[in-house]
Amino acid sequence: MDFSFDVIAHNLPYLLAAARWTLLISVAGMAISIVLGVLLCAARLSSNLALASFARFYISFFRGVPLLVQLLMFFYMLPYVGLDLPAIAAAILATGMCSAAYTAEILRGALQAIPKGQAEAAEALGIPSLALWRRILVPQAIRLGLPSLVNELILLVKVSSLASVVGIAELTRVSQNITGETYRPLEIYVAAAGIYFVINFVLSRFGRMAEKRLQIG
Amino acid sequence: MNTKTPSAATEALISVRNMSKSFKDFEALRDITLDVNRSEVVCLIGPSGSGKSTLLRCLNFLEAYDTGEVRLEGELIGWQEGTAQPRRRVAAGTLRRQRQHIGMVFQQFNLWPHLTALENVAEALIQVKGLGKKAAQDAAMAALTKVHLSDKAQNHPANLSGGQQQRVAIARAIAMEPRVMLFDEPTSALDPELVGEVLTVMKEMAAEGMTMVVVTHEMGFAAHVADRVAFLDKGRLVTLAPPADIFGREPDDPRVRSFLQTYRERNVV
Repeated sequence: MDFSFDVIAHNLPYLLAAARWTLLISVAGMAISIVLGVLLCAARLSSNLALASFARFYISFFRGVPLLVQLLMFFYMLPYVGLDLPAIAAAILATGMCSAAYTAEILRGALQAIPKGQAEAAEALGIPSLALWRRILVPQAIRLGLPSLVNELILLVKVSSLASVVGIAELTRVSQNITGETYRPLEIYVAAAGIYFVINFVLSRFGRMAEKRLQIG
Repeated sequence: MNTKTPSAATEALISVRNMSKSFKDFEALRDITLDVNRSEVVCLIGPSGSGKSTLLRCLNFLEAYDTGEVRLEGELIGWQEGTAQPRRRVAAGTLRRQRQHIGMVFQQFNLWPHLTALENVAEALIQVKGLGKKAAQDAAMAALTKVHLSDKAQNHPANLSGGQQQRVAIARAIAMEPRVMLFDEPTSALDPELVGEVLTVMKEMAAEGMTMVVVTHEMGFAAHVADRVAFLDKGRLVTLAPPADIFGREPDDPRVRSFLQTYRERNVV
């Protein structure tokens, strides 16, 4: 069987349409991941014992259970507690909440990598703690954590393919469907791989640009 | 060395009374009493682990001393006045105000690497003194000029030598116009050929009448710039005397003698 570009050309519109769901899950997931990740990191570092242990529990749970299992739990178990989420919401929540655990740890690592003396210098000058965080700690944590954060976001795009198990017509699911109809797995999966790659390539370029802008010296 | 005219009316700028500090079971400082007068340069010397840095860090409450008092111009630093036990810390805002008047320079410079030299100096002027951006930059530039670094204002710390970084750190502190400057081994992290430029700036500050407390291993600086030298050993203030009494003749105290011997062997003093 020869590789046929016609098959790709013919099916590309369907694949691209499906890629929109992939993008939706990824972008919404990233938003949840970053906002929740920041909150979790703050909770994890907080001197409030209850907050810190909650964050610790959250992180170890979402890091310790396969995302596929989390997704199925969100989809099948939440209705039992009266939360009947549409499949797409379950998928976005599961990927975002799982990724937030990693984001929180990335941020924590970055914050703890900043030498203690920098906060001390600010204290000795009488700089208020809000300004210390806003002007000195957070900008550096972002700079230090950015490569790992971009990594995490790229990972998030890729794991959005798991949403296929709850019936969402995202890129991987649609590729499977088309393959079932056309019996051309090679062409279809090559095309799907290409689309994933392009999305992540753009994302990593954005990451590189941000790193350059934040770079010093 | 600067000359002083001690007038009866002026109290000591910093006065430390019976101050002690322990870390868990380790007694870092014991019953320290020390006055630092206006425009005076006091050097703290002694073996490592003797408590010099801890003493310095208690002066601006980066370390909370346990008992006794540290006063700047009569105001108790860090703890609330009164006899209530246990003592309570002053409010965060009060401590920030107290610290504004006490400049500090660290062994590791502790510049903020994402900001330029100028921004490093201007930051506290904006955040603490409430200056506008332009006024803060002008004042920062003036401070950088004092440490002979106006041409490096736009450099980030990574593009400065250790000596230049430490001078930026000094500019960052003096820009706040503190009443006293604390130096915690300001040249210990520097390559030998860069020590001189930092010491030169410090000598100029001393000549201008800045009150300075300096933890140092530079015996030459202590001998020639200090008005008085304090020798610490095992958390105690062993000797507090003019440098001539410590370096000029054989010291009475065997601890001081053996400490200085290690320097004499290397022909430092």
